[in-house]
Amino acid sequence: MNVEELVRASLREQAAGTATAPADLAGRVLTARRRRRARHLAGAAVTTVLVVTAALAGPGVLNSGEASTQLASEASRGKTLTHVDQSPPRDLIAVGDQALAAYFTSRQVKQPNRDQIMTRTYSVLDQKTGRYEVDARWAYLTVAPGMRTAAVLERQLPVTRIGVLDLLTKKVTRWIPMKGLDGGVGAVQFSPDGKKLIATTYDKDPFRTYWSKRIPVNNTEEPQPVACRTGFAIVDVETGESDWHALPAFTDPEYGRSFGSGEWLRFNNDGTLVYEFINMAPGRIFRDLRGKEVPAPPKEKHVNLVMAPAGLSPNGELVAGPFAGGARTTATEVLDPATGKRAAKLKGQELLVWADDKRLIAWDIAPGGKEFDNRLVLITIGSDKVVSLSGARTPQDNSPGRWEPIFARR
Amino acid sequence: MDATGQESFLEFVTNRSTALLRTAVLLSGGDRHAGEDLLQNALIKAAGRWHRIDEPEAYVRQILYRQQVSRWRLKGRRKELTVADPPDPGVDARTASGADGTGAAELRLVMRDALSRLTARQRAVLVLRYFEDLPEADVARLLGCSVGTVRSTTHRSLARLRVLAPELSLLDPSDDEKPEQQPPSRDFAPVEVRP
Repeated sequence: MNVEELVRASLREQAAGTATAPADLAGRVLTARRRRRARHLAGAAVTTVLVVTAALAGPGVLNSGEASTQLASEASRGKTLTHVDQSPPRDLIAVGDQALAAYFTSRQVKQPNRDQIMTRTYSVLDQKTGRYEVDARWAYLTVAPGMRTAAVLERQLPVTRIGVLDLLTKKVTRWIPMKGLDGGVGAVQFSPDGKKLIATTYDKDPFRTYWSKRIPVNNTEEPQPVACRTGFAIVDVETGESDWHALPAFTDPEYGRSFGSGEWLRFNNDGTLVYEFINMAPGRIFRDLRGKEVPAPPKEKHVNLVMAPAGLSPNGELVAGPFAGGARTTATEVLDPATGKRAAKLKGQELLVWADDKRLIAWDIAPGGKEFDNRLVLITIGSDKVVSLSGARTPQDNSPGRWEPIFARR
Repeated sequence: MDATGQESFLEFVTNRSTALLRTAVLLSGGDRHAGEDLLQNALIKAAGRWHRIDEPEAYVRQILYRQQVSRWRLKGRRKELTVADPPDPGVDARTASGADGTGAAELRLVMRDALSRLTARQRAVLVLRYFEDLPEADVARLLGCSVGTVRSTTHRSLARLRVLAPELSLLDPSDDEKPEQQPPSRDFAPVEVRP
């Protein structure tokens, strides 16, 4: 251990030993503030006169900025909006039921101790202007069906509260405090009806990789992640009540921890179960909302949300399948939910979301492009027609500015 | 502050005050009362601008750091040095840094004591660099100074720690993760610092 590490350890130990803040701190602050303000009362009186004068001069001001504005995603309902010259997108992209609600770019932020934190920057649809605007406040963001609100997590994960962000005003209207759990929240997802959230909890930042766990990669060394999931909470968005259940990271029973398994948990198709991705057959575990393992629902036996995030079609008659192309061609397939057999072969590279029962939004390589030179496209079952929705991403995987879409029902 | 603002302020304080207090206590060199005082003043300032603040936590933290540094400007250094007891000379670093863990804890106590005897600015820089793990550029922005100042203050603070706690100079340099950046000959010998 060197002096810097000792400083770090010492500060951490000291911080951990600090008792909780006094319960009446907020009250004390507000009282002290009132006293200070009283001293400035004379000055304030002058200001009040000015404000009143302004209000009388412009009565219309009061009505401006009210929440009656129509959402940009609603105004274009039913229309297909494409922007083939934009990558990353600047203006609303939407097809059928779905719209691109937000997207994020990622970069590795090196820490002084050589750890790295994969840090996201979100760009979110401004529901007033219909344009995507950077909102750098959040470490994690997910958009609710209807695209009126988003759930956000502040920087420095894991956190102990979830913000409800209004996409019209861009303000957090409510904070949901998370109590009675181990660690804090590192990822959230809305249920399909938007009434619940599943919050995956961790005892460390799930985006951090540790130099102390580094492994040799090619001619260099790279920091590695550690298993840090503690469980998950199901949160009632309306009441803010949550119900936490312990569920540590999935461990391969034979070989110990397997890093390939996604640690964050999602809802299944109808929001009644939890979908946990694992990197060994059958690729996932379904659990009830208390964390107990249950058999896969009959229609979701062949759903693989990692290889084909689109999952089950809205009418439940088809399941999005994985990449089905060759070495030089791209193709995907949709499967029969009951048998897992191919129902149709389609264009595209990765099936992202169902626009309706017959059409899907997918990634596909731009004509003449290479593997990572992909753009958003709309593909239709039973047709070879491909409609471009966005411009092509930068051709390097993980290069800065390479964006990942977040879709929501509009 | 209107009713909604007051509600969100109360919620913020309830949720984040313990984390903020930790930082405030570290900045105050482990003095809990001084830490509470620092945090309360920062919160009063934030409350006055509550409806205009987008990121309350970042805002309050910035006030904490700047307030602490400007306090130091007002008070002068001598007062800072009289707060804590001198480090216990009985702790031997050779046993202290032993593998049994108990010694390491003693060494951290020595370190804690030495930290409390730094100036507020030196401590603020170390807290930002090693507790908040912020890059130098962010520290400079938060404290309103240049990156060069952050770098030199960090270096001087670490040197000062070695003077205040000579036991630290016996730490094993071979375990250092960045030996090429910190030559042991310079980094691990006591450095003379003028008062």
